[in-house]
Amino acid sequence: MASRNKRLAREVADCQKDSSKSGITIRLVHPDSLDKFVGTFPGPQGTPYEGGTYEIEIEAPEGYPFQPLKMRFITKVYHPNVSSQSGFICLDILKTSWSPVFTLRTCLVSLQSLLSTPEPNDPQDAEVAKVYLTSRERFDETARYWAQVYAGAPSSTSPNGASESEGGEDKQGRRAAQLAGIDWGIADELGAPWVVRFAEMGFEPRKVVEVLQLLNYRADNRERVGHEAVLERLFS
Amino acid sequence: MKITINNYHAIALWRWNLKAGLQQHQPANAQPTAEGEEEEEEEDDDDDDDVCGICRVAYDGCCPDCKTPGDECPLIWGECTHVFHMHCIIKWLDTESSKQQCPMDRRPWVTAGAAAPPPDAPPAPRQAARVA
Repeated sequence: MASRNKRLAREVADCQKDSSKSGITIRLVHPDSLDKFVGTFPGPQGTPYEGGTYEIEIEAPEGYPFQPLKMRFITKVYHPNVSSQSGFICLDILKTSWSPVFTLRTCLVSLQSLLSTPEPNDPQDAEVAKVYLTSRERFDETARYWAQVYAGAPSSTSPNGASESEGGEDKQGRRAAQLAGIDWGIADELGAPWVVRFAEMGFEPRKVVEVLQLLNYRADNRERVGHEAVLERLFS
Repeated sequence: MKITINNYHAIALWRWNLKAGLQQHQPANAQPTAEGEEEEEEEDDDDDDDVCGICRVAYDGCCPDCKTPGDECPLIWGECTHVFHMHCIIKWLDTESSKQQCPMDRRPWVTAGAAAPPPDAPPAPRQAARVA
């Protein structure tokens, strides 16, 4: 136990020394305990996460460094290997491929590189992975939007500089769908504002999409189906 | 001028010779390296090359469970050329998750110079009882 703490204290100190170079920071959650940390790293350049800062909750188990660190994204991130709901991470080195030579810092570097090299065939978030595999364009746009909303990335450098909120109901609906982690291609097709309307009643957005698809609740068909039928399905 | 030495304190420094540790186990014709040239490196606190990757304490120090460095807490070399405090690598290899691999390169850990186990005594497979 003493060795674990000694090593962790040294790691934190080392990381603080070169944080200006790497952009990676680590701080203790409680000043007098070496069990929990919060690490941050910048989103990698040339990815939709660029410009964002990502906070990671880190827990060092008692058996550290012989047992893996537990890491979870605090900052919401749209990525196939990170749960968009809980921030849980699917990364082999944090599970079966752990090695005692890994440190707080090297693990944060690994997460940073995970952001630039998604592994959609071994997903943590199947919905996100599906979008990644079907449309990189839609994936990138949502990931970028999440980086702006949650990770503090500068908003898009679109030359017209039009404010997002003025984009009309469809645009706002799409944005809301994106934040809910819905494939906005599908949301657009169903009519994003309708999806959002049901989601705002407190239903899980992905379930809303599922039900609307099932009932073919779109365009001219909406009236025929009726929103009571949708609600009935959603409650069941 | 005459000097009479009344007494003196002899001070000796020692270091593990990381290179020799490997050569020891190599065929006889390996040349010993010229001594003295590699002594120039200054104390570099976080030079990753000089610390045990497992406990991150200097090779010349001892593993966290020991009090005195030196023969009581020796280093150990793998055939993969990686070096650790012996106590540290033993602790790692004792865990199930190690899969008996070197922590650096995940090759099966083989202690350099260790005799191959006799054919009739295969290393006991470590099997943790797994009860669902």
